[in-house]
Amino acid sequence: MSVDSPSPAPAPPKKPLYEASTQFKHWRYSQESLADVRSKLNEAAVAVIRQTFEAYEPGSSSNVSFLNANEEHLLVTFYVTRITQLCGHFRFPEEVEATAATYLKRFYLKNTVMDWHPKNVMLTALFLATKTTNNPISLEAYTHNIPNTSPSDVLDLEFLIAQSLGFEFAVWHAHRALWGICLTSALQQLPSIPPDYAKSQSSVYDTALNHVRASRLTDAEFLYTPSQIALAAFSLTAPEIAQQWLESKQTLSESSPTKIGSGVLGSIETIKSIIINAGQRPETEAVREVDRRLRLCKNPEKVVGSKAYLARKAEEEKKAEERRSRKVASTGEGVDPFGDELDQPKPSLVDYDDDDDDD
Amino acid sequence: MSSYGGWLRGKTVKKGAASSSSVNTRSSTPHVQSTSTTIYGGGIKDPSGRVTEYFSMEDQCPVCKSDRYLNPKLRLLVSTCYHKMHVLSILLILMRVLTGVFRCESCIDRLFTLGPAPCPICSKVLRKLAFSPQTFEDLEVEKEVAIRRRLAKEFNKRLEDFDDLRDYNDYLQEVEDIAFNLINNIDVPQTEAKIQAYKAANAALTAANIQREEAYALALKEQEDFDRREREARAAQLVQEQEQERLEREREQNELISKLETSGKDAKKLVAKARLSQQKRQSARASEKSVLSGGMGFGADYAKLLKARTNKAKTSVPDEPHVPLQDDWYGYEDLYVLRPSYDDIFSEAVRKDREGIMRAGGYMVEEAWNRALRSAMAGLELEPLVGLQTEEPPLSAVDAGGDVIMA
Repeated sequence: MSVDSPSPAPAPPKKPLYEASTQFKHWRYSQESLADVRSKLNEAAVAVIRQTFEAYEPGSSSNVSFLNANEEHLLVTFYVTRITQLCGHFRFPEEVEATAATYLKRFYLKNTVMDWHPKNVMLTALFLATKTTNNPISLEAYTHNIPNTSPSDVLDLEFLIAQSLGFEFAVWHAHRALWGICLTSALQQLPSIPPDYAKSQSSVYDTALNHVRASRLTDAEFLYTPSQIALAAFSLTAPEIAQQWLESKQTLSESSPTKIGSGVLGSIETIKSIIINAGQRPETEAVREVDRRLRLCKNPEKVVGSKAYLARKAEEEKKAEERRSRKVASTGEGVDPFGDELDQPKPSLVDYDDDDDDD
Repeated sequence: MSSYGGWLRGKTVKKGAASSSSVNTRSSTPHVQSTSTTIYGGGIKDPSGRVTEYFSMEDQCPVCKSDRYLNPKLRLLVSTCYHKMHVLSILLILMRVLTGVFRCESCIDRLFTLGPAPCPICSKVLRKLAFSPQTFEDLEVEKEVAIRRRLAKEFNKRLEDFDDLRDYNDYLQEVEDIAFNLINNIDVPQTEAKIQAYKAANAALTAANIQREEAYALALKEQEDFDRREREARAAQLVQEQEQERLEREREQNELISKLETSGKDAKKLVAKARLSQQKRQSARASEKSVLSGGMGFGADYAKLLKARTNKAKTSVPDEPHVPLQDDWYGYEDLYVLRPSYDDIFSEAVRKDREGIMRAGGYMVEEAWNRALRSAMAGLELEPLVGLQTEEPPLSAVDAGGDVIMA
């Protein structure tokens, strides 16, 4: 082996782009872990709220029936459908709608509906989504078109939501992946494509898009990647074309760093069944029932005007006051931040500005 | 000394018009007074060696309280104890000198004639000669300029004196730190000690650099002189040539006329011959001129010096380019092909948009397609997660009330 020309060290394999996203890093769950997160969050919330009830009115929590994780999830899903309605009203693009839905669902993986009612969170999530997807609308125009809403309702929660999302506003969406699939499949000269495919293309796309929209009501986006959801939606519409598309991509990816294995087929089938089974609007009656019970088991500290709310406010006020006084003490009292008074009076005997201009 | 060099050489130095006429103009806008009749050093000199003084209707001596309104010839000087307070109190350290005739003593004379005395405002011990005229309205600027001028004398290293750019930049940073400390009165004794240490360590190099700088300035001046002389010579030559040309043409004209008178040859031929010889003469002169100008040398010393400088600079270590993005991701490029065009109903409106109204902000439909195609491939191979992970995704901080803690 020749020594004079050392071969360059092999470059480390590049990581796929999707794995750089926060969606992959922080918002990817397994079926079990998702259920676990929700049930643990629910348990913790119920324990805290029960304690609060007891603290202000001992014995009052015994006959309150708290929501369980499934009921919370039902309520959130209902408000995802409300986002769709609002987006139709405002004529927002698909991007805004999908982003807002994702924000709302992600928010309730970190918070409980018993603290923050999804009705308000939904409005703020949608407003936040218009900004993060570059479709801004003025706050006045936004609240003006929604009855019984003031700008402060939207803005008060904005930071809380942004913080709960971990400020990770970028979302990879299935509808974009669907567009990509439709673009390539339209041009591939697949033998089985019917001659009038080009004409039916838009209808195929529309049907598949409806499946993608249905997938937003499910947990699919926490379990699978957007491209897989899009392919499943496409497969529900045109199974043969989807099959051929996937096979062509599989052969292409033989030598690439992201080899598409045969396991994808299983994933696609699972997503399909998720979309068909869970991708439906929750029944209004069930939601109404949950909402009625929520009114009783809300965290009393969050109900404006209640005893617990006032107590909490007073406590916060006291803390803030303490912090302020500590700050004043540390900077040294009585020191004017703009320096001492000038002890030099203005010396001129004549006011130059008050000139009679006779010269 | 050089501050009144212009005066010694007999150059006319205009006194600021404001100093004599300001009695009647009661404007309160600042004027700039120019003077060189001072025994006080310092101040900022303009290229002609004059010191331009700051001058305003608001001036008032803080010691005796006389102001410009009552005494138009009031002149204020700045002591060395620049205060570090805000601008109004800086005015307090202004000192007054009366150059008028009706009062012989001024505050500075009165206080400091008998030797060093404490400043009446801050009681720092001052000397009479330490006062200097004020050039800038803001005394902070005055102070900074004085400090930087002082530092520039000591810290005159150049890029050639360092092995690489990094060292040079560190050195510049150091100098800047020292200047900042002195200007803002931070750790003044330590900083002064630093300057002394530097001075001792680099005395030889500093001296050499001063010499180099002088040599360079000299060479520059020589070059300028040379250029000027050359220009003058060329102009003189041109005048001479024109004169010669005129004389010759006259002579030829006369010759031609006399020939036409005396000889019996064809007049037309004679005229043509005369023209020919005239043309010949002109072309000969033109070629002569080009030879002359081609032979003219460039300022030889200066060129050599320049060359030496650039050669030295080239030997220094090249600066590494800064690469902002170090991560390298695989973007699924081999899994899809972006075609030049698609039969795509969504971008139809954009593609038909000839005026480019929809393409504001550099929108390119190819980019949108590219993103969609990439999105269709991204993560297609990933298997879903199974089971409970040992490492849960980090939950944001939640307080006892179940709220996310607001920072």
